[in-house]
Amino acid sequence: MKSFKVALGAVLAILVVIGLYFINRYWIAPATQKQTLKSQSNDRPMAPAFSLNDLNGRKIDLADQKGKVVLLDFWATWCGPCRIEIPGFIKLQERYRDLGLVVIGVSMDDSVEPVRDFYHEFNMNYAVAMGDQRVTELYGGILGLPTTFVIGRDGRVYSKHMGATDVSVFEEEIKTLLAANAQGEVAQFQQVGGVRPAEQIQLGDPAEIDSEVPGVNLSKLNPQQAAMFKKQLESMKCDCGCNLNVLKCRQNDRACGVSKRLAREQLEKFLKPTV
Amino acid sequence: MKSAPSSSLHLLGATLLAALAAGVAAAQNSPQVVDVKAVLEADGVHPGKTIKVAAVARIAPGYHINDHQPTLDYLIPTEWKLESPKQVSVENVVYPKGELKKFAFSEKQLSVYEGNLMVGALLRVARTASPGVYALKGTFNYQACNDHACLPPKSVPVTLTVNVVGRGRSLKPLNADVFKSLGALEPARKNL
Repeated sequence: MKSFKVALGAVLAILVVIGLYFINRYWIAPATQKQTLKSQSNDRPMAPAFSLNDLNGRKIDLADQKGKVVLLDFWATWCGPCRIEIPGFIKLQERYRDLGLVVIGVSMDDSVEPVRDFYHEFNMNYAVAMGDQRVTELYGGILGLPTTFVIGRDGRVYSKHMGATDVSVFEEEIKTLLAANAQGEVAQFQQVGGVRPAEQIQLGDPAEIDSEVPGVNLSKLNPQQAAMFKKQLESMKCDCGCNLNVLKCRQNDRACGVSKRLAREQLEKFLKPTV
Repeated sequence: MKSAPSSSLHLLGATLLAALAAGVAAAQNSPQVVDVKAVLEADGVHPGKTIKVAAVARIAPGYHINDHQPTLDYLIPTEWKLESPKQVSVENVVYPKGELKKFAFSEKQLSVYEGNLMVGALLRVARTASPGVYALKGTFNYQACNDHACLPPKSVPVTLTVNVVGRGRSLKPLNADVFKSLGALEPARKNL
């Protein structure tokens, strides 16, 4: 009798384990996966709008590309890894133009002449604009070149590739996004080759970028408060070695981490209610 | 019962990734792959004499900067620019030969500097210079890349102070190791 009870217990235990396995496999796991996909999908930010002039002075407005897949390439003529990618982009533009692909090059060269020469030498068939500080900040600070973003028909940024990347990677991603409709987000999209830490999509905040105190969001302040806050920054010395006050340093050197930290700390103090 | 440990692993993975990303983001705020400092061969110089100085650059592993005379015309050359006061003139600046290397992004070999780089300069002090400290402002200009990406061109301030002393005072040599290797450099490539 005792051995029967043990056997029954063992069978029940096995059944419970099997039951839990199936519950996990067909109920819990898919739900978790769905949630993960959803959260990934919600993490895809909208591509920041920008308007730049192309090499002939014509306006390139990202908003005009609504409903298209955009390959946005930050590059420079002095950058070998950038140059090697260009022929591939020319081919992609040629092959997928009619399906809705728009390639836009944003050159980080200091002057337009070498870019123009390069454009003609390589018979580039897509628009190239001269980049500025604002557009690089909007795209999270372009610190290494080439950096290329792939934007879907819905205007979301789907991938960021830093460094020279094989054209087949872009082609695969572009084909996935071209197959989607303009309204829907492509939830199943995955960056080809995986996402390295430097390729995490982190975009800039226009409220900070376009602020009178660059890098500091003043939207919580009314005009009088903003003026008062700026006066406070003017009275503070920046200790980054620039010999300027914090406001001037912020305005002269947007990349200065010291003045940014000081200004942000001061804003926190400024916003703290006085007891 | 895979979901619990898998969730924990996901959470752990996400935390590690976030920490890594934060580290990268912090590092990206000031991507500095080249450290440069200026050194002198002695603690002083007499009026009418010359003194060797050098910019000593340490390039981070995996990165390179272009030769002063790059192999391809589109590459930005490495350059040490010195502005001298009236009493101290820059006689010449000597760059070492770069190393010819093949990179994934170029069909041709490129002449580059990697690791430690020493750029030497010879300064001449005017006979009429009064004893005192003379500051020379300068910038070290370079553009760094690794095998698959490039960083924007950088201009780093590299300043020098030259101590002009009276003829009777003896001079103490400094940085002998640096100037010993500079002496062995091929002097064929001189650029002002």
